[in-house]
Formats: sequence, C-alpha cells, structure tokens
Amino acid sequence: MSKVNVFLEEKVMPVAGKIAAQRHLQALRDGIILAMPLIIIGSLFLILGFLPIPGYNEWMASIFGELWLTKLTYPVTATFDIMALVATFGIAYRLAEHYKVDPLSAGAISLSAFVLATPYFTMFTPAGTEAAIEVTGVLPIALLGSKGLFVGILIALLSTEIFRYIIKKGLVIKMPDGVPPSVSKSFIALFPAAIVIIVVWLLRLIIEMTPFESLHNIVGQLLQEPLSVFGTTLIGAIVYVLLVHLLWVCGLHGAAIIGGIMGPIMLAATDENRLALQAGTEIPNIVNMQFFEIFIHMGGSGATLMFAIMMLIFAKSQQSKQLGKLAIGPGIFNINEPIVFGAPIVMNPILMIPFILAPVVMAISTFVFMQIGFAPKATGIAVPWTTPPIIGGLLATGGDWRGGMMQAINLVIAFAIYYPFFKVWDKQNLQLEKGTEDDKTSE
Amino acid sequence: MNILLCCAAGMSTSLLVTKMEAYAKEQGLDCKIWAVSANEVNNHVDDADVLLLGPQVRYLLPKMKKIGEEKGIPVDLINSVHYGLIKGDEVVKFARSLIVS
Repeated sequence: MSKVNVFLEEKVMPVAGKIAAQRHLQALRDGIILAMPLIIIGSLFLILGFLPIPGYNEWMASIFGELWLTKLTYPVTATFDIMALVATFGIAYRLAEHYKVDPLSAGAISLSAFVLATPYFTMFTPAGTEAAIEVTGVLPIALLGSKGLFVGILIALLSTEIFRYIIKKGLVIKMPDGVPPSVSKSFIALFPAAIVIIVVWLLRLIIEMTPFESLHNIVGQLLQEPLSVFGTTLIGAIVYVLLVHLLWVCGLHGAAIIGGIMGPIMLAATDENRLALQAGTEIPNIVNMQFFEIFIHMGGSGATLMFAIMMLIFAKSQQSKQLGKLAIGPGIFNINEPIVFGAPIVMNPILMIPFILAPVVMAISTFVFMQIGFAPKATGIAVPWTTPPIIGGLLATGGDWRGGMMQAINLVIAFAIYYPFFKVWDKQNLQLEKGTEDDKTSE
Repeated sequence: MNILLCCAAGMSTSLLVTKMEAYAKEQGLDCKIWAVSANEVNNHVDDADVLLLGPQVRYLLPKMKKIGEEKGIPVDLINSVHYGLIKGDEVVKFARSLIVS
C-alpha cells in the first residue's frame, strides 16, 4: 500500500468515522432531511413563478390577474419559510430516537421551545409614515425559515438533551397500570417538558435584557454569519469539495458525513438566494447546496459521469467495459457507488487523483464563471440531487439555458482530467486480463 | 429469508436489491429483499432476518450491530467489490451464510 493509502487508512478514516457517527451531527443531518421534500415541492412553484421567458409575466397576469405571482408562491411560504420549524422537530425526533426516549414528545417539546425563543412581534412601517411600529401577536415568518435554522438546531439539541436527562433520572409522573400507554406517555413527558420550557423561558428573559435582544440575533452574529462567510467563499467551497472526496476515497460517504456540519449553512445560502429571487433583487450566493449537488457532483461525487461514459465508449478491457455498462444507468441519476467500489476508486492510487482533482477544478471554474456573470447562479430552487445533468442546471437556474451550458463545460473539464488516468487504468485491466505479470509498470 | 440492506439514502443499495432478487428467484429461494436509508432501519429491522450495510456507511456498523443484537439478527458489511460490481448472487450467498451460522 502506498504512503497515501496508509495515511488515509490510519489517519482520515477513524476521524471521519467518529464525526459521522457522532449522535448530534447524525440527528442534525437526518432531521434536516425532513424539510427537504417540502423544499423541493416549494421549488416547483418557484420554477413556475420565475420562468425566464420574455412576456411570461404579462401573459400570466392576463390570465390569472395581477396578483398571480403572490398566489402562486403561497406554497413556497408554507415550505421554504417554515424550514426551521420542520428541522427543529426532525432533529429532536431523531436525537430522541437515538436515546430511545419518546421521539414524538421530544419533537413536540422542542417545537414549543423554538417558538418560545422566537420574538412574538415584528416591526412594520405603514405606508406614508416614517416611524416603524411594533406589531404584536405574530410570529415573524422570516425567523421560522432559514434565518431561524441555527436557532432551531440549537434548541432541538438542547431541549432533547434536557428531556433525556430528566427521563433517565426517573423524574417522571408514573401512571398506574391499566392506563392506556398513549396517555401515560404524555404524562411521562409532562415534567421534562416543563423543565425545558422553563429553561428556554429564562434564557429568553435574560437575553431580552442584553443588547442582543433575541437568541436569533446572538446565533446570527456569533455563529451563522462567520460560518456562512467562510462556507460560501471559493476557498470554503474548495475545502468542502476536498473533504467530501477525501472521505469517499476512503470508501466513506463523504457528502453524508460533511453534510451534518455544512448542510445547514448551504441550505441557508440556498434560501437567501430564493428570497432574493422572490424579491427581484440580485442573487447573493454563488456557493450553496445546488452549487455542489448540481454543478459539481455530476454522475455522483467525483463527477464520475464522464468516467462512466469513457468506460462505455473507449474501454479496451472487458472489466472496464462491463463496469461502464453497470455504472452508466445509475450514473445519469448521479449515483456512482458501482464506480467508487467497482473500479474501484477507493484506495486506488491512480483513480483517486482525478476523483479529487476534477471536482476541485470544477468548483473553481463554476465559481469563476458565475462570478463574472458568464453563467447564472443557482436561484434557490432546490432541485433533487438525482436530477440528470443539463436538466439539473436548467432547473436550478430557473430555466436559464446557460445553467445547462455551465454543466456542459464542467463535463468537458471532467473528461479532460479523467481521460489520461482512465487510459492507464484501462491498460492495467487489459494486461491483467491477458495474464501478463508486468501490470505494475504504471505506478 | 428476509434481507434488509441499508446505505446513506437507500439509493445504491436498491440497485443491488434488483440483482439479488433475480438471483434468489433463479435459485428458487423464498426471499424478501429491500433497501432503506440508514435512519429508517429502526422501522424495518423487526421484519428482517439479516441486516447488511453498504461499505460507504461502515461508520454505522457499531450502531447497527447494537440494533442487531437487540433483535437477535446478524449484521455485517457488504464486501465492497461485490457492492461495486452489483454482484447480487454473492451478496445473497453472504446473507445466507450469516443467517445459517
């Protein structure tokens, strides 16, 4: 085994395994997934609302009236804008499941705790006046969406930890036998829930006395902003791509592991773009969830789609050809485990080079092209990661053909990077098949 | 014989399911084979006689082994070469060997 492989096997793998199995990160990742189907549904309405066809707006207005866009985007509010609510419930549920305490109760309690941490008023400036007035009796929907995501995460983890701690201590109201289980379950949750609510209530009272005024402001200024500033830069994107692919080279699901940490930041960046699209202002974030899922991971992590096509068309060895046939179908939908484990790319000194290099170069090219305005930024439309390339780029940019073109350019880049390595690898396979012994010459 | 597979999203393991079913049918084995994502395992494990993990989620093995022990079923990783080449026959054989032993 080469030095690189020894390093990966001994140093990277165990750390990655620990991070991935860390219960809070796991709950975070699995809990946020609960919001994803909703966000994708919301995206369908976004696509319809913002088709870049000249005269589309006027045409829709002539059929459905001036308010057509407002009405069309009702479901967007009910999906994107409650992202934090759904995630809070989901994360608490998954964490409680891990601890084997009642997940439904834990979810409900943290939902309530999350609302408790949210200010119940918003500032509103009536038309024709200068001064903003305080409107009470409302939950600002902005704080239930991506802006509240980090608060939701913290509250879900905190409240479920308290919930578990109290239950494990046995401080619960026990009902006598004969009481239906669902009734006794809700009584079990009673005392822990009270503690959670009191803790978060005190927290809110204390924070309201500070200049921060709300938990959302604290989390925003101390956590979310610094993290997103780094995460949405080119350097941040490259670090992310490197980490994901280094893990995959070790045979571990890189995107799933890093997703626990970076997922919320990328989701928030996607949502900022969505809000800008709806408001008609400039799209702020080049780097967001779709930047990776749609423009870089084409064919799966490592941008292996072109590699699969090479195997299908240019392979001389039987093994490479067979794998090409096996991999192309799933590859079109960005699933590439057959290649990663079949080629294999895992711990393979030759193929791991393009597998890491191609996505890094593609991240740079995508970033630069979007920066100079040659390609459009992803507009906050959440396209499922299984959407085939070209179509994915079109949809993620709201139907802009240059989104598909950006993907095509990246495919050409991937082709150029993979090709020399593919040749070496194919030749090795061919020599092995011929039964010659000197198949190690290429190292 | 009920074989449950799991990976991160239950996508790539479901490719394997099709191949495994074909082999099982060919051998005349009465098998139920299905794939789920890692966070759904808890809801499916009661119906399973064996739980197999995709190699890319091998960091979940300790957690899944614990679940397996509670239910009294064997839990193991799928060989990564068999996984990559989607060798349904080998994986079915592996699953059987786990159940028998």
